[in-house]
Amino acid sequence: MIAQTKAELMKLRSTRTTLGLVLGMLALITLFGLLAGLLTHAESLNTPENQRGVLGVGSLAGVFSALAGVLLVTGEYRFGTIRPTFLFTPRRSRVIGAKLIASLLAGLAFGIVGEGLGFAIGYVCLHARGIPLVLHGGSITLVLLGTVVGVALWGAIGVGIASIVRNQIGTIVGLLAWGFVVENLLFAFVPSVGRLTPGEAQNALSGLTTNHLLSAAAGGAVLVAWVVALALAGLALTARRDVG
Amino acid sequence: MSVVLSEGLTKRFGKLTAVENLSFGLEAGTITGFLGPNGAGKTTTLRMLLGLAAPTSGRALIFDQPYARLADAARRVGAVLEATDFHPGRTGRDHLRTLSRAVELPDSRVDEALRLVELTDAARRRVKGYSLGMRQRLGLASALLGDPELLVLDEPANGLDPEGVRWLRDFLRSFASEGRTVLISSHVLAEVAQTVDQVLIINHGRLVVETSLEHLTARVGGSVRVRSPQLPQLAEALRREQIETTTSNDHALLALGTTSERVGDVAFAAGVPVHELVAEGSSLEEVFLELTSETQP
Repeated sequence: MIAQTKAELMKLRSTRTTLGLVLGMLALITLFGLLAGLLTHAESLNTPENQRGVLGVGSLAGVFSALAGVLLVTGEYRFGTIRPTFLFTPRRSRVIGAKLIASLLAGLAFGIVGEGLGFAIGYVCLHARGIPLVLHGGSITLVLLGTVVGVALWGAIGVGIASIVRNQIGTIVGLLAWGFVVENLLFAFVPSVGRLTPGEAQNALSGLTTNHLLSAAAGGAVLVAWVVALALAGLALTARRDVG
Repeated sequence: MSVVLSEGLTKRFGKLTAVENLSFGLEAGTITGFLGPNGAGKTTTLRMLLGLAAPTSGRALIFDQPYARLADAARRVGAVLEATDFHPGRTGRDHLRTLSRAVELPDSRVDEALRLVELTDAARRRVKGYSLGMRQRLGLASALLGDPELLVLDEPANGLDPEGVRWLRDFLRSFASEGRTVLISSHVLAEVAQTVDQVLIINHGRLVVETSLEHLTARVGGSVRVRSPQLPQLAEALRREQIETTTSNDHALLALGTTSERVGDVAFAAGVPVHELVAEGSSLEEVFLELTSETQP
């Protein structure tokens, strides 16, 4: 499994796609970090919740972490490399397992870099505008840790969904539609259900407390449950289906 | 023990039967051509042999095990199913490294495989700039990474220029001469006729014939071309064995309806030196077409 994980990390490193994702992530976090940090009214930035939002803007890295996870699977089906991959490692559960681990590791890197940047931008914006930090150390730690862990878990969610869907465009469109539309609608109109979605669970994990969100611990547990459920479904389907 | 054993292998996709009750075995050290027109079920069969597709019924064993349960599969079997299975943005060398890492082969083995297929110079270029022939060779390099005992190649000559085909033929010959086994598919018999020892011909998912290339030739009145400094003596010896001969216009003898083993044996018994002994394959393609049209439903 370690060898296969190294192979999967090699796959991530050896194309420019991953670099593109990192650059896209840095650009998007910079943009949103500056927008939120500079354009939000000073008085509303005095609340802990809004400061969490500004300092945790790196959670956007979750999108890119998930995309990296998706591409690690769908890219193999799209370009046919899944055939040599399975020829070299006929035990498919080992391949998917290694992809899950590799995507968690890559996601961790995305999270650390993305939230590192996001936090720095948010912190500098607050400082430059003379807005005092109202979050105490524990809350800040939760923002940082929760965001990084959440972003990492999104990588595995990407692998899980992609192992189920396999088609690249379908998976990406579905994932973005789910994350940016369905989750928001669910949370807005049926918050008791919407808070159980992975995106809102990640918000809870980062310490956000907007009404109806779960506690940080419960949010983390729900997010992990999503990872496990999608991974198991992906493993089961991958083992059963023929490779064309 | 058969290196590859197919027993009643069957694959159905809904109502369509792609492969039906296919049984054959391959012995070590042989090169087998797996032939049939496009759509005959060759690739589906290879996918089942290699564990990529599950048979509807029957079983496929490689070294007495289903491929998926073969320990160290990549070190015992090298296979290429599609010549285009690469990420275009990855270099040839990195493509091989994504595979070698998975089975803990060192980078030195990657470079060795690249050297074997004469792709060292292009190794650090992205695959999107490769010609089809280069992709074929990169695929072959991936199959050779584990220094396998069995090579399974699906249409390996596709996209190769005549020089490439000759190179592949020599390569496979030397590979098999070390006691290793080769299974290559093709939809053109002529493409592999000079490479393979025996043929499996399938059509509409069913085995049409499993035979040596020589028998295939003989079966439809093929001939053996033989050159010798003592042609008259050889012709006489063959006549005594009831083998008809004619003289070809390039001072060779054509022995009709026989095999090169037979002609060689006769020449040896008669003490006649032989300078050339070739089973003539000129009519092979016709044989092939005939065989694969006989089973039209």
